[in-house]
Amino acid sequence: MHPFAYERPGSLAEAIALLGRHGAEARLLAGGTDLIIRLRDGSLRPSVVIDLKRVEELRPAIREEDGRLSISATSVMTDIAADPRVRRHFVALAEAAAVIGSVQIRNRATLAGNICNASPAADTAPSLLVYGAVVVAAGPAGTRRIPIDEFFVRSGATTLQRDELVAAVELPLPARRIGAAHVRRTRRRGHDLASVTLTCGVDDAGVTRLAYGSVGPRPVLEVDESGTLADPGSTGEARAGVLERMFLGASPSPRSMRASPEYRVAMLRALGERALRMALDRLGGG
Amino acid sequence: MSRDGVGASVTRGGGYDRVTGRQRYVADIHLEDVLHVKLVTLDCARARIRSVDASAAWRVPGVRLVTTAEDLPRPMPRFGPQFEDRPVLAVGETKYHGEPVAAVAAETRDAAEEAARLVHVDYEELPAVVTLAAALDPAAPLVQDPALRPGDPFATTNVLREHRVAWGDVDATVADLVVEHVYAFPMVTHFAIEPHAFMAAPDGDGIAVWSTIQHPYWLQRILAKLLRMPLSKVRVLAPDPGGAFGGKQHTKYEPLVAFMALRAGRPVRLVLSLEETFQAARRASASVRVRTGFRADGAFAFQDVAADYLVGAYADIADRVVSKGSYPACGPYRVPAGRVVGRGILSHTPPSTAFRGFGNPQVNWAVESNIDEGARALGIDRLEIRLRNLARRGEAFIPFDTPADGDWEQTVRTAAARIGWGTPLPPGRGRGIAIGIKSGPTTGLSYATVRLLADGSVIVYAGTSDMGQGARTVFAQIAAQELGAPLEAVTVVMGDTAVVPYDAQTSASRSSVLMGTAIQRACGQVRDQLRGMAARLHGIDEAGIVVERGTVRLPDRELPVLDVLRRGLGRLGGELIGNGEMRKEEEPGHPLGGSAAFWEFNCTAIEAEVDEGTGDITLVRHVTVSDVGRALNPLQVRMQDEGAAIQGLGHTLMEHYIFDDHGRIRNLGAIDYRIPTSMDLPLELHSEIVENGDGPGPYGAKGMSEGALLCVAPAVAAAVRDATGAVIRELPLTPERVWRALHGEPDRP
Amino acid sequence: MSDTIPIQLTVNGRQRSLRVAPHHTLLDVLRDDLDLTGAKECCLVGECGACTVIVDGRTVDSCLVLAVEVDGASVTTVEGLARDGSLSPLQQAFLDRGAAQCGYCIPGQLMSAHALLETNPHPSLDDVQEGLAGNLCRCAGYQQIVDAVLAAADGADR
Repeated sequence: MHPFAYERPGSLAEAIALLGRHGAEARLLAGGTDLIIRLRDGSLRPSVVIDLKRVEELRPAIREEDGRLSISATSVMTDIAADPRVRRHFVALAEAAAVIGSVQIRNRATLAGNICNASPAADTAPSLLVYGAVVVAAGPAGTRRIPIDEFFVRSGATTLQRDELVAAVELPLPARRIGAAHVRRTRRRGHDLASVTLTCGVDDAGVTRLAYGSVGPRPVLEVDESGTLADPGSTGEARAGVLERMFLGASPSPRSMRASPEYRVAMLRALGERALRMALDRLGGG
Repeated sequence: MSRDGVGASVTRGGGYDRVTGRQRYVADIHLEDVLHVKLVTLDCARARIRSVDASAAWRVPGVRLVTTAEDLPRPMPRFGPQFEDRPVLAVGETKYHGEPVAAVAAETRDAAEEAARLVHVDYEELPAVVTLAAALDPAAPLVQDPALRPGDPFATTNVLREHRVAWGDVDATVADLVVEHVYAFPMVTHFAIEPHAFMAAPDGDGIAVWSTIQHPYWLQRILAKLLRMPLSKVRVLAPDPGGAFGGKQHTKYEPLVAFMALRAGRPVRLVLSLEETFQAARRASASVRVRTGFRADGAFAFQDVAADYLVGAYADIADRVVSKGSYPACGPYRVPAGRVVGRGILSHTPPSTAFRGFGNPQVNWAVESNIDEGARALGIDRLEIRLRNLARRGEAFIPFDTPADGDWEQTVRTAAARIGWGTPLPPGRGRGIAIGIKSGPTTGLSYATVRLLADGSVIVYAGTSDMGQGARTVFAQIAAQELGAPLEAVTVVMGDTAVVPYDAQTSASRSSVLMGTAIQRACGQVRDQLRGMAARLHGIDEAGIVVERGTVRLPDRELPVLDVLRRGLGRLGGELIGNGEMRKEEEPGHPLGGSAAFWEFNCTAIEAEVDEGTGDITLVRHVTVSDVGRALNPLQVRMQDEGAAIQGLGHTLMEHYIFDDHGRIRNLGAIDYRIPTSMDLPLELHSEIVENGDGPGPYGAKGMSEGALLCVAPAVAAAVRDATGAVIRELPLTPERVWRALHGEPDRP
Repeated sequence: MSDTIPIQLTVNGRQRSLRVAPHHTLLDVLRDDLDLTGAKECCLVGECGACTVIVDGRTVDSCLVLAVEVDGASVTTVEGLARDGSLSPLQQAFLDRGAAQCGYCIPGQLMSAHALLETNPHPSLDDVQEGLAGNLCRCAGYQQIVDAVLAAADGADR
């Protein structure tokens, strides 16, 4: 691994100042499960690594406040998957967090890191999109809130500014009852990167939100307000038609070695229907 | 069977060290004053090397040596177990992705890595052939320089060698049904969790080399020749490998580190990354065309098999893999006319080498699948057609080789019963059954020394490598049994050519049979000496004395061995030393140089369920039954059998190399090369054994560590077809491939 | 090379103070500086689990943790499982059930199993298979490993 300097700020202000000082030369370290791989393979060669784990304001915490659940930047997947409030209100996020990597990876990997990498295959992204998450970005000018759908740009790129960092991810507590499910496609049952990752959420007003990733440069959110998907009386044909339109945003790369575009698109359909069924069951089952 | 001796599932020798983290593998050994080596490689498979500029590398603090082809003897020393074709470093041209062009040695790993990055190689990328089709194209570039293959009729092609085995007259044989298909087997790698590691240090006027090697004596021979040293000056230390599976049989980078250590005058160490192991060892992929002739009643009329194996840029042991692997392609069946043509095809890919199953799984996948095709066409049950043709004990199913050496029908019927063959299945489920066979060792040589010490404890010296198969344990059990010593009092010493007598190799599931016999014989010598001792002490004739299970039986009484030993050794003490030798000589004229010491025989049966929406296969039940002759340690036998079965699931379901246009392995490393985890197991895995004591090894044992891998793929594919009708002739059966077959999508290359 | 940074940590119950380079991982420091070679190096991308150790009660792939990150932490490696020369019940179960073949993955398997049983003393078969999925065994002794973990969990009741 290429040598670098290590900084361990204790406060958010200090972290932001360091980020400002080092700019593009710096990389932020939270869980490190992606960063350290890239430091070792040489695809990243920062001169400074800024470890956020001792920043007082970013300590691992999942807090309920002002009608939302706030997940701090250093909260790890293990804790998110196990948190009773996440499981109660945002079960698809808990499911996504529970299938990322192995136990060892989930003990380190953070939600903030998962979205900041902006991998199209990021497992939490579809759930965050379905639940209307908001990214709390902290920078020299203070904090701003970025709707998650405006956060992702393309693989590896977000709307986060160079001098900003993600302080937390907020999930508005749902005003309505929602049934939701996260599903994914992998090459084996053991831990693997997803070739399709998809979350479907249906609320009791009949609105269906469906988000999917790993089939294009960024995860996609689609909303069916017509009620067709949520309506148990809809014909299979009608449902398939709506789903088909929702998947128009898929543009999987033909270069990937993990799955072909046609398989990914077919799996979107297969998984979309399964997730919808699970979401409806869960909505029905309360 | 006794508590300690053969037949008991005693605790693994070395088990304590393995569960406490004390086991020292090569990479765990610290040598004082050691230099760290890093290889310099290029970012493509094939390139003309114009020049190597190491000046920037030399400027990195701590760098002590940069070795390029220029720094090695000329002509470039070449080596290999079959052909001396592999250079210590690439000279003139690289021939596969990962072939080292230079190597750096530095005081720290950091410095070596940094300096290796700074070695500037000026090169021109050349077109590479990485598929069978490309390599066999008449216009293809030649992988090996014809000048290095004088007198070789294939020198101007990419064919390494061709091996033909035939009996009867295939072309003249009439069949009621002929089924012909081509089957593809993927390129896969061993993925031992311990990456290969090598160290070398000047040792007086010789050299000491530490390696994760399976065949330390073969390595010693190669090093002695390359370094022009007597064997006695080349000491190979071979701690227990952390998994090998064939990938560590043969010399890889030991010559390089040896030259570097001698040049630096200091110890050097090279521990490969997992990625580098992918580039150092892998199994040959294959395309196998099978034409099977059937009679209407299901009897085989002929088998006509042509197997092309894609081997690497250097032969390693691949030619032997091709000849020995393709040889029993017609299976353990009565085949009136058989013809097998196996070819190794050179390519610009990492050298392929031995891998559990040794070339057999490739042809087995094809031939067993083709038998199913015929059974379906004839309307004969797939189990029935196998039983109808299966060789019975004593039948010479390959006319010039060892006849069937087991009750194979018993094995097949056991597997069929266990899977519930013929009983109704729920919808969406299917079953498959397949038979695997592999020739055991055809030649071999093992020596063992056994010392019975003054207190009755025992030291066994055996040159086998214990790479997880448990040879250490079984050898201790044999000695305990033969000398009547408690197992705790037996120590097995391995892995040091300066201390342990010669053993040819640890491969072909041979060690229990060959080394086991050598140990038995060494123990026999010790017993003879005990008899002599007792005769002397009691003034009677040796002929009337029997030494058995720790007891010396005289005509009128029985004495404990220890009693005779103590009195016999007298006040000076001392010990009794026995030597044993087991050789299986070459048989001139035999296609493989020798007949099978035993046949490794397995029947695998699978029940599978397929998710037609996604192509996912769930293995509901996986049954493996192996004819092991005698299980010397039943637990270890089961572990080997299950391990082979699960490893077979790897190439069956998920494993394969993917190359890009530059001949680079795209899925290099653990992220995109998938192997089975604890969540990828069959829902039920049943391993059973057939024990008839009919093997040539100690107590009737046969070798058994590879059988359960041989026919996993055809059994799984057959179950998938049974469940869904999907016909797939290419591995692995990834969800996408199964989905494509089910939905009429063309397969992807 | 970069400057080293002083860190303090507890390793297997023993306080250690040392200086580490920021780009060196916990695995590097355990193996090279502390001569604790139980944790193994294999894939270096957090896939194989051979380098698994426990940091503050949780398993990590020590190849993906910088040594500086564990400043102030408590680290347990396989060398810390046996107490006063006697094997832990889990180690004993691994030995008795024949869970170790070549043995290279076993330290990592043990650490994952140890952490699993700490949080879930009565795991189901699925819990164990999932809990240990981050530890590859190429000898594929998975059945014996899982059996050993279940046996150790059972034994804890008695």
